[in-house]
Amino acid sequence: MCDATDTPAMESQPQLQKERVVGTPSKLCVKCKAAKPSISIRRSLYCRDCFVRASVTKFRTALSKSRKRMPVARARVMVALSGGATSSAMLQLMADYQRMELKGYAAEPTYASVVAGHVDESALFSGYDDAQICDIAAAIDIECRVARLEDVFALEGDRAALLELVHATIAPGTTRDQFCVQLTRGDESKPAREQLRALFAGLGSATDREDMLDIIKSFLLARLARQAQCELLLLGDSGTRIASKLVSLTSRGRGFSLPLEVGAETPFLGSSSSGVMAYRPMRDLIMKEIAFFNLWTRQPSVVVPTFTTGAPETASIDRLTESFVVGLDRDFVSTVPTVCRTVQKLELCPEALTAAQCIVCSMPAEANAQAWRNRLTVNVAPSEQSLEHDIAPSADIQSPLSSFGVTAHLCYSCQSLLHFAKPGVALPAFCLENYREQATASPPSDAENDIDADSQQRRESLRLRIEEFFI
Amino acid sequence: MPRQCDICHEARAIVRRPKTGQSICKECFFYVFETEVHNTIVESKLFKPGDRVGIGASGGKDSTVLAYVMKALNDRYNYGLDLYLLSVDEGISGYRDDSLETVKRNKEQYGLPLLIVSYEQLYGWSMDSIVAAVGRKNNCTFCGVFRRQALDRGALMLDLDHIVTGHNADDVAETILMNIFRGDISRLGRCTEIATSGEGYVVRSKPFKYAYEKEIVMYAYLRRLDYFSTECTYSPNAYRGYAREFLKKLERVRPSAILDIIHSGEAMHVAKDVQLPSLDRCQRCGYISSNSVCKACVLLEGLERGIPKLGISRTKQDVEAGPRENDLVHFEKLRQEALEMRRSRQKSESCQQSACACTENCS
Repeated sequence: MCDATDTPAMESQPQLQKERVVGTPSKLCVKCKAAKPSISIRRSLYCRDCFVRASVTKFRTALSKSRKRMPVARARVMVALSGGATSSAMLQLMADYQRMELKGYAAEPTYASVVAGHVDESALFSGYDDAQICDIAAAIDIECRVARLEDVFALEGDRAALLELVHATIAPGTTRDQFCVQLTRGDESKPAREQLRALFAGLGSATDREDMLDIIKSFLLARLARQAQCELLLLGDSGTRIASKLVSLTSRGRGFSLPLEVGAETPFLGSSSSGVMAYRPMRDLIMKEIAFFNLWTRQPSVVVPTFTTGAPETASIDRLTESFVVGLDRDFVSTVPTVCRTVQKLELCPEALTAAQCIVCSMPAEANAQAWRNRLTVNVAPSEQSLEHDIAPSADIQSPLSSFGVTAHLCYSCQSLLHFAKPGVALPAFCLENYREQATASPPSDAENDIDADSQQRRESLRLRIEEFFI
Repeated sequence: MPRQCDICHEARAIVRRPKTGQSICKECFFYVFETEVHNTIVESKLFKPGDRVGIGASGGKDSTVLAYVMKALNDRYNYGLDLYLLSVDEGISGYRDDSLETVKRNKEQYGLPLLIVSYEQLYGWSMDSIVAAVGRKNNCTFCGVFRRQALDRGALMLDLDHIVTGHNADDVAETILMNIFRGDISRLGRCTEIATSGEGYVVRSKPFKYAYEKEIVMYAYLRRLDYFSTECTYSPNAYRGYAREFLKKLERVRPSAILDIIHSGEAMHVAKDVQLPSLDRCQRCGYISSNSVCKACVLLEGLERGIPKLGISRTKQDVEAGPRENDLVHFEKLRQEALEMRRSRQKSESCQQSACACTENCS
C-alpha cells in the first residue's frame, strides 16, 4: 500500500511549473481533512475512502459530459471488456451506477440496460482464458457476450469473397502509389483461425500488427453492440492510454482521423452507415488511479497480452510511445492530463467531415494522401520526369486482369500498412463489405487521382455483378 | 558487383537515401534533394520575382546548406530573388564567435551580402551577461525570444520582404510532438504552416520543411560545404530534448515516421470554441504580442530591475504598461525607415530605366 508521497522532483525542471504539494500542514487527506492519507495523486494526498469516492465521481462526470455533448436517449449500454484493469474497473463503475439509479427515486434510469462485450483473442495469443473474463462479468451479474477475432474471416452466403492484396506500393521504383486487390473466394478448407494468422503473418512489422488488431477489435465490438441491440458502447481507454494513443497515432500519420480515435465520443464506431455511438468515460483516470481503485475495491482483472508484451521499447511504435509517455509523466506529473486536455481541443478538419471512408479502418480517408506523398519525394531522373499525371497505372506491374485499384479508398496510414504487407495477403471480410457499400453508393469523388475514372468505375460495378462466377 | 543507382541506372550507387531507402549516386542525390526543395517552394508559392529574401544564417549545417541551395535554385530556375545573409550574434563566447566566422566565409564563398545584428547592439545585453544574471536554467527562453525579434529588426533594417530559415523536417516533427506534450494548442495549430502569415511583419518560411536532417548533413558533406557544428555552450536541459529523444528512437522503429508526424500535424484542427490568444501590439516597442507588453520587453525589464524571473515564472510583480525612457527602438520607426529605403530604391531604379538625362540633382 502506498503510504508516502512521491519522490521529490528532479533538479532540472525546465519551463514546466513544479507541482506544489497540496495538503494541510499536518499532512491529512485533502478532501475529508480527517483521515491519514494513503495515496498521492498529482501531489494531492487522499485517504482510501475519499480516493475511491473521487474516482467514482470522475467516472460519472465524464459520462454525463459525454451524454450532454452527444446524447443517446435511453440507451442500452455495452461495456467493452477486455479483462484488463481499466475495462474491469469501468464495468464495476457502470454496473454500480446502474444499480444506484434503479434503486433511486428517478422515474427512469438514464440507461436502459448494461451488458458486457468481449473479443476473444486466443487465436493469436496463448495463455488466454476467456472463461476468466466472463467470470468477472458474472460476479456482478452482468451478461457477457463474446466475439472471436477469427469471426472476421467467417464467410457467409453466396456473395462471400475476400479482398486479396495483389500489389501495394508507395514510392521508390514506381511512378505512382498503387494499391491493387482482387477478389478471391477464400480457401474454404482453411479454418478461419488459420486465415487470421496468415493475415497477421503477412503484415510487415509489429506496429502494423498492432494496428490491424485494433482495427479488427473495433469492428467486432461495434458489431457485437449492434447484435445485442445496444445503442451505446463504452470503451475502456484510461487517460494514460489516450495520451499514449494520441502520440502514437500522430506518429503513424493518423492525424486526419485523430479526434474520432481518441476523442471523448466517437459518433460512428465501425462504419458511417452502421456504426454505433461510443464514449470513453475513463479518460480522466490515469493508470495509477485505476490500479489502486481495483486494489481497494478488490476488482479482479487479467493481464491482456499483445504482440509487444515484454518486448524492448523499439519493438513497435505503440510500445515506444507507451514507455515514453509513462516515463515523461514520472518527471512531469501533469503530462498525461495536459495531453488529454489537448485531445479535447482538437476536432475534425473540414475535409474529414465529408471524406470517404477507408475500407480497412473505417476512418475518414484523406483524398489527397497519395498526392501529398508523391509531391514530397522525387524518384525519377530528370529525363523521365516529364508527364507526372498521365502514366497508366498498369504500365509497370503485371497483375491479373481481375484486379482493380483501391488507392482512393485507403487512408494515408492504411496505405502505409498495406505497403509493407506481403502480396497475397487476404484482408478481412469487412473490407470488402465497406468497399461494396462505397462503390455502389456513389462514385469516388477524387476522380482526378484515377486515370479513366469513369471507365474504371464502370468496370468495377460490372465486376461486382458477376464476381460470384469467378473461379 | 557494385550496385547501380536506382534512379539513373548508370552511375554507381554510393549512398542510401534516408528518406526512401533507395541506393543512389551522388549526382542523383543532389538532383532529388534540390528538386524536392524547389517543388516545396513552387507548390507553396513562397516567393515572387523581385522579392528581397533574407537567409537566417547561423553558420550551422542547416543554414549553410540553405544558403547554397537557395542561391543555386535562384540561378537555375530564375526565381528573380535578391538574396541576403542575415545573422544574429547572441554574444556567446566560444560558440557564436566561431560560427560567425563561418558565416563570414559563406559570404565570400556564395557572394551574398551579409548583415549581422547582435543582442548587445539591440538590447544592451549579450547572452553571456544574461546567463551571469539569470543562471543556466531559463536562459534558452531569453535567447529564443530575443532572437525572434532580432531577426525581424534585421529584416527591417535591410528592407526585406521575406526571411527563410533552415528548419528541417526533424525540427517540425519535434515541434509538433513538443506542443502535444506541453498542451500548447495555439502553437499546435500553427506550427505546421510552411510560412507565417506576416501580420504586417516580414513573412517567414521554411523551405526545408520536408527535408530530413540526415539528408541535409549528407548534402553538406558530399558538396563539401563549410559549416560549424557544435552544441551551444549553454546547452539546454530544454523540454525540446525529450521530444528529440523520442523522435530519434521513433526514426529507428520506422524511418518514415518523421513525415507521418508532419502529415498528422497538418491535419490537426483546433476546435472552434477554443480560446486562442488574440494578437496585439506591444505598447513599448510596437512588436507583435498577445499581451499589452511583448515578452522581450518583459524579459528586458526583469534584467534591468534585477528580477531575472520576471516573465519566466509567475511572480507577484507586475510589468508597467506604457512606454518608458530606455525602451528599444520602436518598430514603427524601423518600418518608416524601411519604407523610405524602398522608395529611394524604386526611384533610383525607375530613374535608371527611363534613362533620364538629369544630373546629380535627382535623388
